[in-house]
Amino acid sequence: MPRRREPRPAPALELKTTRLAGIQVILNSAEHAALETHISTLFAATPDFFGGEAAVFECGRLPADAPAPDWAWLAQELQSRGLNPFAVQNASNELAAAAAKAGLLVLNAAAPAPVVAEPAPEPVPEPLPEPAAALAPQPAVPVPTRIIDKPLRSGQRVYAAGGDIVVLAAVNPGAEVIADGSIHVYAPLKGRALAGARGDVTARIFTTHLEAELVSIAGVYRTFDTALDAAVAKKPAQIRLADASQIVIEPL
Amino acid sequence: MATIITITSGKGGVGKTTTSASIASGLAMRGFKTAVIDFDVGLRNLDLIMGCERRVVYDFVNVIQGDANLHQALIKDKHADNLFVLPASQTRDKDALTEEGVEKVLKELEHQGFDYIVCDSPAGIEHGAVMALTFADEAIVVTNPEVSSVRDSDRILGIIQSKSRRAVEGREPVKEHLLVTRYSPKRAHEGEMLTYTDIQELLRIPLLGVIPESEAVLHASNQGIPAIHQKDTPVADAYLDAIGRFLGETHPLRFVDYEKPGLLKRLFGGK
Repeated sequence: MPRRREPRPAPALELKTTRLAGIQVILNSAEHAALETHISTLFAATPDFFGGEAAVFECGRLPADAPAPDWAWLAQELQSRGLNPFAVQNASNELAAAAAKAGLLVLNAAAPAPVVAEPAPEPVPEPLPEPAAALAPQPAVPVPTRIIDKPLRSGQRVYAAGGDIVVLAAVNPGAEVIADGSIHVYAPLKGRALAGARGDVTARIFTTHLEAELVSIAGVYRTFDTALDAAVAKKPAQIRLADASQIVIEPL
Repeated sequence: MATIITITSGKGGVGKTTTSASIASGLAMRGFKTAVIDFDVGLRNLDLIMGCERRVVYDFVNVIQGDANLHQALIKDKHADNLFVLPASQTRDKDALTEEGVEKVLKELEHQGFDYIVCDSPAGIEHGAVMALTFADEAIVVTNPEVSSVRDSDRILGIIQSKSRRAVEGREPVKEHLLVTRYSPKRAHEGEMLTYTDIQELLRIPLLGVIPESEAVLHASNQGIPAIHQKDTPVADAYLDAIGRFLGETHPLRFVDYEKPGLLKRLFGGK
């Protein structure tokens, strides 16, 4: 009788490194009224844009003497709009203490710090050393490109978070393709394409058949109520941003 | 195994009910035991097109809610053996359709040995339309040759691909068919209408048939006889061809090319 090796049972616990894709919520103000107004206008048009992504509050831009915002309220507001804030980073002592009290983790420079006006103050006593140590800086792992091989139909929307998207079938009128990176459509692009959704001005849109309703890069958009230039209409084209403010459409 | 066919379109007034009546009749004429269900609760129409409105006692919602059994509610068609109609309720609204209730009725029809169950979807993309497509094995998307109808068909195809049971459970996807109705070769030829190839290029699903625009449809509706029974009219022939293609036969497309009036006159007696 052939001897079979008993399969080894999987251990109850395994440790592997991971890197979470998430959203940075950059605070420019800690004032309750200002935050409240801005949150409600920001999410008014697309209340279901986020689908439970993790989020971190970035405090580097707050003035050094800013009072702590109402963390619990702020977290709750974002949670009700599909974001899951779990930590603060680059927070002053006072802000960090308040955040820890509200149940948020305190991270120090987990990501390359954005605009910080002054050099960080003297090393601060670590309120929660454990999680901060676990989330030490790591080289960024590229986000896999999202590939769609079925036609996108009117009313359908796909979003490639943190990376590029490649669509191999038609994007029909009324459909929407959104990517944080660039968008490639190897078929008729007749719907809307929004590249650089999180502000990347170097993102581009490529298609083999340009007939879009709207294109946008990093929030700069163009509609096509007037006919497209004959050099690009229904032809291969690329769309990019010049001077971070002007949509340029060129034949490929 | 019963095959569930949903006749849908998104847009209203394109010929879903006319098509449901003719497709169900055509399948029954081929010898398949067929049921046709009106999902348009509150705007009951199928019974009029099928000419059985005076025989409605119990309806779909009565069966779902257990007020009547299926036997009491099914109406036997006058024109085709093997064909039964399950009418909608006129006095209720779409909320009376529950997923469990619809599934129960479909299961019971399958249990009774029906080969095909044709679901006549209401217009729109709301609850009633979703209920009609949830359990579909195949979908016939009825589209008129104009842009708004094509856009709505595109939308409903997206919904079939996301909300049908087959999609939700990750099984083999619903088989989609395109049926272009109210087609006028002359107007398409003159550029006043989209051509059926334009429509197919956008929707990118296999073409089941092209039904020509015809007064015979209105005539059939008013008489309460499905259009497929209007012998020797282009509409009936086009529906018969579509049934054949649905069952896997090959038939060349007819009534799609515009020919010189002289020839047309000879063929169809001067219409």
